[in-house]
Amino acid sequence: MPALITARRLEKTYTTGDTITYALRDVDFEVHRGAFTALAGPSGSGKSTLLHLLSGLDRPTRGEVWLEDTRIDNLGTAQRANLRLAHFGFVFQAYNLIPVLTALENAAFVLELQGVPKREREATAMHALEVLGIAEYRDRRPNQLSGGQQQRVAVARALAANPKVILADEPTANLDSKTGAALIEHMKRLHRDEGVTFLFSTHDPRLLEHVDAIVEMEDGRIVRERALHAA
Amino acid sequence: MWTLAWRNVWRKKGRSVITMSAVALVVILSLVYFAFGGAARNALYTSLTEANGQLQVRVAGYRDLREFGDLLMRDAGGVAAAVAARSDGGLVVEALDVLGLLEGNARSRGVALQGIDRPAELQAAYADGWLREGRLPTAGDVEGIVLSVGLARAIDVAMGDTVYVYAPGTEGYGAAGYTVIGLLDLPSGAHVAQLSLAAAQELAAPDAVTRLEVHLPSFVTMEDDAALPVLRARLAEALGGGYDVETWRQASPGMASYLDLLGPMQAIVNGIFFILAGLLVTNTVYLSVIERVREFGVIQALGARGRKIMAMVVAESLFLCLVGAGAGSAVGLAIVARMAQGFGFPAEIAAYVAEYGFPEVMYASLSPDQLVVTVVFTLAIAVLAAILPAFTATHLEPIEAIRYTA
Repeated sequence: MPALITARRLEKTYTTGDTITYALRDVDFEVHRGAFTALAGPSGSGKSTLLHLLSGLDRPTRGEVWLEDTRIDNLGTAQRANLRLAHFGFVFQAYNLIPVLTALENAAFVLELQGVPKREREATAMHALEVLGIAEYRDRRPNQLSGGQQQRVAVARALAANPKVILADEPTANLDSKTGAALIEHMKRLHRDEGVTFLFSTHDPRLLEHVDAIVEMEDGRIVRERALHAA
Repeated sequence: MWTLAWRNVWRKKGRSVITMSAVALVVILSLVYFAFGGAARNALYTSLTEANGQLQVRVAGYRDLREFGDLLMRDAGGVAAAVAARSDGGLVVEALDVLGLLEGNARSRGVALQGIDRPAELQAAYADGWLREGRLPTAGDVEGIVLSVGLARAIDVAMGDTVYVYAPGTEGYGAAGYTVIGLLDLPSGAHVAQLSLAAAQELAAPDAVTRLEVHLPSFVTMEDDAALPVLRARLAEALGGGYDVETWRQASPGMASYLDLLGPMQAIVNGIFFILAGLLVTNTVYLSVIERVREFGVIQALGARGRKIMAMVVAESLFLCLVGAGAGSAVGLAIVARMAQGFGFPAEIAAYVAEYGFPEVMYASLSPDQLVVTVVFTLAIAVLAAILPAFTATHLEPIEAIRYTA
């Protein structure tokens, strides 16, 4: 089966004066539909940079990124924004919910950006909240929710838009062990029951225990790829 | 997006209320200033047309004629009747203008002498507006004369004194003595004297007049005046080529230009008010964007395009300005409504402005156009004030913005 996302000879450098810093060097990588994969490695290994390049949030210095049969690294800003809106879901380390919107409105936010009518998007967002077990908090604002609840709203926001893949950058980093474990359980269930594709960037061992594959990174390179569980 | 924009406006309540209050204040000032300008224009219009009428009829080409005899209308009664029949209820006043020499107790001065008989209602209004002391000459009064205050001072005469007038006429030079029965409050420097029409005709030109004034009592505001050119054209056609029919604008082009300039000048001043308010709105919206850099980064990361983000920021600016403008309009229109019932100046200022023809009581007037201008200015500053903040928000790098901490 062809890959959902393909990266070829990816390189990302930052130049400060005469100094060139390599965030990624010569990375070849694929994400297949139905994956539950983690990018693992110490801070500065290039995990987040790779996530950003694969999703079109950033452009590589060299190399190619393909989403199915569409090359995305050479698209303009607006085109990449459209691409992210249509095909990618995001979960951030710091939740990044919009403070003045309720849980339901936050979950429906991407649908609103997509132009989905209000009634339809609220119904879809409500379903996503129910799947994540937080429908009862629909009318609460982020400052009225715990960290774990906020992160579940963030996952619901990503899920509601029905993306091809959800990219989660350190999703459990700000959560305590119990809450983090609960969130991992929710994401596993989404993957297993709804077939959602997940790509994580993490160095949380609790999450690494549950993924199907780990891609280890160090100094901007992929040093090892290993499958843990049958996909 | 509208819900998000509205709620974002209230994130910092204090700052938003201050900004809305500034916009409200500017809207109030704008409406009151426009209304005051309307009152001033209408007052000056009334003052000017009460003195000389909305229309004047003279012999054709009078501006180029030098001989006194050439300026006279011989069949004034017939012309007056023809004008009265076609002027939609207008009052026609016959006047004889003569240049002469006025001799007082110690000095003499050149004088513009007006022989004029006004109908009772016009006489009363003229006296209300211009007579400082005494009374105006009545029809047939051949002994009384009214002088402008400046002229009386120049020739050193007071009420009850006798003055002598020497003027060229149709039968050679005329001379006569008159008693000062009244003093007129005209702008200082104006050397004007008024007699009854009969007295002036006896002095200079029996049975003749140099002009007819047409007073239209229903024309009280500049807006009413818009119908005047049509009436002028009708009278000119009826009278034929032997007469010039002029509107007050043509007779006093300087004053007409001044009145016409008042509106645009007010709009410019109001525009400056709005620009100043716009700077405050820009500051508020810009601060709001800077405080939410991370949030804008997330919104971009989720897939929002620049246009969407720009629309959000502009919507916030619009809400700030429209709420302020709504409150300002409510208060401003209430003030204007009260001023429309009549307002005056404190005594010291009233005396000063009276020099320029303003009456004691003025009536505020606000046109629909001026209300539209105020609304347009409000919308303009809402959009313009949002440009810089919106540009900043749309040009954030999402990744750096997401990592941003204030």
